[in-house]
Amino acid sequence: MKEVISTTNLTKIYGETYAVNKLNLSVKQGEIFGFIGLNGAGKTTTIRMLLGLVKPTTGYCYLQGRRVNAGNTSIFRNVGYIVETPYSYPELTVRENLEIVRKLRGMEDRDSVNWIIKKLKLEGYTSKRAGHLSLGNAQRLGIAKAIIHRPKILILDEPTNGLDPEGIVEVRQLLMNLANNQGVTILVSSHKLEEISRLATNISIIHNGCIIKELDKKQLEGQLKKVLLVGGEERNNMKSILSEAGYRVVDEGIDFNDEIKPLQIQDDDAINSPEKIATLLVKAGHPPALLKVRQEDLESYFLRVLKEAGEV
Amino acid sequence: MKILTCISIEITKLFRSRIPLMTILASMLIPFFGGFFMFILKDPDLAKGLGFISAKAQIMGDADWPSYLGLLAQAIAVGGLLIFGFVMSWIFGREYSDRTIKDLLALPISRNLIVLSKFIVTILWCLILAVLVLVLGILVGKIVDIPGWSADIILQGISVFITSATLTILLSTPVAFFASSGRGYLSPLGFMIFTLVLAQIVAATGYGQFFPWSVPALISGIAGDSDAKIEAISIAIVCLTSALGLFSTTFWWRYADQEI
Repeated sequence: MKEVISTTNLTKIYGETYAVNKLNLSVKQGEIFGFIGLNGAGKTTTIRMLLGLVKPTTGYCYLQGRRVNAGNTSIFRNVGYIVETPYSYPELTVRENLEIVRKLRGMEDRDSVNWIIKKLKLEGYTSKRAGHLSLGNAQRLGIAKAIIHRPKILILDEPTNGLDPEGIVEVRQLLMNLANNQGVTILVSSHKLEEISRLATNISIIHNGCIIKELDKKQLEGQLKKVLLVGGEERNNMKSILSEAGYRVVDEGIDFNDEIKPLQIQDDDAINSPEKIATLLVKAGHPPALLKVRQEDLESYFLRVLKEAGEV
Repeated sequence: MKILTCISIEITKLFRSRIPLMTILASMLIPFFGGFFMFILKDPDLAKGLGFISAKAQIMGDADWPSYLGLLAQAIAVGGLLIFGFVMSWIFGREYSDRTIKDLLALPISRNLIVLSKFIVTILWCLILAVLVLVLGILVGKIVDIPGWSADIILQGISVFITSATLTILLSTPVAFFASSGRGYLSPLGFMIFTLVLAQIVAATGYGQFFPWSVPALISGIAGDSDAKIEAISIAIVCLTSALGLFSTTFWWRYADQEI
């Protein structure tokens, strides 16, 4: 498939700090590329360089095969974007803000404003000043401005910030529809890893300015570990019993970000037949209060990958 | 045509804000205070009775049209640095302080055009303000019935006023650079105050004709007969400063990293 967004050895140095370090990205047409990383990992700097807001120290960015350069304005004709929180002119109404974007993008079709208002469910707010919008509606307006011109490329930094659960689902469906039915290529960065895992077809983890993991949905599925969680009173006794029976028991294996940390058994035998563990513990006089097979989610996987990379 | 689109957008943004009203009100102070001084000067007894105000008013000279138009020109040359600078700093600085700049930088439209349209709209609005001050000033002068009206005097006064106002407007372009590089209003505000103070100091040392921000005030006759010193070089220095402001702002928008 055609490569739509790419970077070659993209590097940005601030003083002696490498914000982005020899980053090579490749996003193909129709992909929803989830770009995840900790704060300061280099996501937003990369997005800024892709949009020509910041110049790379070395390396290049390409959109639809053309090198990004602030002077090369035609390259942005098919690009819609949100960089961090979207802001609009507070004294202008929702419609006026959208009209400004329509005019700046050289769109003759006046109906596009009505179309996007309907699409983002902003009908009730068209005459409301942008400065008086709720956080969620301001975000909707930002998304509306990003897609009003029906772009072929969408670069979105935290697009679901401030949206309520219903809004998040709507935006997810909208983006999936754009990618699946209209071939729009989407690069989306977010802290909401659950959202990314539902949305993205490909995922890239950036850390200290470098890509440390890049995989598609299938590969991710294969890498998500399963464990058997075992909880109950006298945890240490339970651990000894299970270890003596030959199971690999760990106190803190996969970080599920739960408050209570049950024991984790990583053996396939235990995962496939948890009743064996139950029987063993009951016979030993320590019936488990918790016995559950759990698969890593993207958040846990992300934390594990960072841990393996020597962080967190 | 793209430039017309950009200009129309800038006009929309300007007129939906409070800036036009604020700057009109600020500009209106000039003719009203000028007329008020002339009113007092016309009646010395009333002037003495008013104490401090009358003492200040006596400095303005005689109650006649040359003094009055000179006063308007001086006020636009000094006050204009603040009023026109304020408009310029808002037009550019608001994009940074409202963080709307991000929406203007990755578009299929040249950043130069956006910057140019901002300058055009600012200069047009400042010219409108200057004309408002002049028209309102003449109207107030007529109402106060200032003596000494003649076509020659009025034309001469208008000419000095327009020259002072135009040069002051031209000098507001560097404010745009400080608003852009300082990403808001604080830097341009500091710059305006700095130039305003420095202009007085440099003019007092006798080198005002070489310091751009002193030139409009000298042309307006603020230093008495020293307006005779103003030559083409002073006008060239102002134009050069203005061009520097325009190009540095355009350069900043085009080449600087926009980290906002």
